[in-house]
Amino acid sequence: MRAGAGRRGNLGGFLFLAPGLLFLLLFVYWPLLYNLWLSLHEWNLVRPEAAFVGLANYQALLENPAFWQTVRQSLIYMALAALGNFLVPLGLALLTLQVKSPWSERYQALLFAPTVAAVSVAALVWLYIYLPAAGPLAKVLGGLGLPAPSLLSDPDYALPAVALVANWKFLGFHYLIALAGLKALPREVLEAARVDGAEGLPFLRHVLLPLLFPTLLFLLLSALANALDYAFVPIDVMTQGGPFGHSTNLMYAVYQEAFRFFRAGVAAAQAVLLTLGLGVLILGQLFLLERRNRG
Amino acid sequence: MAKRLLPHLLLGFSAFLVLLPFAYQVSLSLTPPEALFGSPWPFHHPLTLENYRVVLEKLPVGRYTLNTFLFALGSALGQILLGLLAAYALVFRPPPWTGLFLGLFVLSMLVPFVVTYLPSYLLVARLGLLNTLPGLILPMLTAGYAAFLLRQHFLGFPREILEAAVVDGAGTRDLLFRILVPANLPTLLALFITLFIGAWNQFVWPLLVANRPDMYVLTVAVQRFAGGEGANAWGPLMAASVLATLPTLVLFLAFHRTILQTLMEGGVRG
Repeated sequence: MRAGAGRRGNLGGFLFLAPGLLFLLLFVYWPLLYNLWLSLHEWNLVRPEAAFVGLANYQALLENPAFWQTVRQSLIYMALAALGNFLVPLGLALLTLQVKSPWSERYQALLFAPTVAAVSVAALVWLYIYLPAAGPLAKVLGGLGLPAPSLLSDPDYALPAVALVANWKFLGFHYLIALAGLKALPREVLEAARVDGAEGLPFLRHVLLPLLFPTLLFLLLSALANALDYAFVPIDVMTQGGPFGHSTNLMYAVYQEAFRFFRAGVAAAQAVLLTLGLGVLILGQLFLLERRNRG
Repeated sequence: MAKRLLPHLLLGFSAFLVLLPFAYQVSLSLTPPEALFGSPWPFHHPLTLENYRVVLEKLPVGRYTLNTFLFALGSALGQILLGLLAAYALVFRPPPWTGLFLGLFVLSMLVPFVVTYLPSYLLVARLGLLNTLPGLILPMLTAGYAAFLLRQHFLGFPREILEAAVVDGAGTRDLLFRILVPANLPTLLALFITLFIGAWNQFVWPLLVANRPDMYVLTVAVQRFAGGEGANAWGPLMAASVLATLPTLVLFLAFHRTILQTLMEGGVRG
């Protein structure tokens, strides 16, 4: 940028990048590599030496039915996120486009509000809402003559009950990026979206949907990629993965292996598999984002 | 008419459902113990401030708030400073392999924290920084989001202004703090508040690193209280949780326009 500075200016630029890069290396990229190394070892965090065990940690995981149960549950968390952090926010964003200022901004602020509270603190409120028999949800269900199971200790209900809290907490954020994505579309598309009923339907299918597709895919991928992360703290606060592991997911399982059971190698191997699995979703997201920025 | 009302009805009802848990939180914090399980609806009971008195008496809330404030402030300022320098270099003084460096910043946002926490913990422990403010803050200073967001904004900034300033003898510090920072103040403010709230609400990392009671941050303290004295004492527990949430809520209410707008422009992650 400096007149005639050329190469010298460029190398100067590196100095400004260096501090930020240093922290990335220390707390992201070195841990990533260390984790890979750790996954090939057995270590309990206390012994001075980790023992090399090759791929044994991976083999143990793949042969363990509990691991596959965790994988299955992770997919359920993602499916529920597709509903609560993709479809619902998208619907709310589409509705918001039909509302004029200042109401549009008011709804945005209200729906975004839970994003501002700490999820660990908010999950405690849900513990009360979910209380068996005495809690408000049980009472309302009871009042309607419906059965009110003790959600968090029931193997069938614990996972969806925890997922609801995660979806609730992050709904506002996904609503906002859905709104941003829709607003970035050409004006005519949005106006056409207001066309209703019979004349609108073929238009929706053949014109609108193809135009919306990249945005929708981006929103879906971001809901899926974050689903396990979002559920982490609600799991920790509300069920710690129970009953009998029925509400855990891969991310929480890594944490438990490392910090509760002190099996660093197994935790690391599971973290590697998790990173690979999420990596596919995340790279798809980046690809779409890059294309949108260029287009 | 009905068609114009429908979006309002649906959005209003959604907002009501989304905010209902907060109503329970506030209502419980004002409930006397004997009225806890009376009505399933919030605020259908006599109100009392007794729970707040109990919490303020039992917990050093001031100390926890100070810990949390310093942790959030250090994390947010640190990320902004590192992100500012990086974004400046990426846009206005691109070194060789700029694409690679940008990629490192962007990809860093996408590495799951469970992958990095154990090695980060071991590093912080080896440096002797467990239960210290630097130990809490340093691993938060991965400035991928700040660098990326500021880069997006700098890309649209007219280069000629900086070039003219250089001709007039401005140094790098002037370019950054006399031109770029003032020109991007709303973005920086929104970014600061987003990062501050994000750090304020951190739970897992402080739980691991700051486990000595005098180093607790609010989220950890509330959780410890929930597992100990506050177990089943819903009134005091919710009073504590309101006290922990209030600062971020006030910040958000005061600056929500700027925050929402900047988040919508950034679009990757909050």
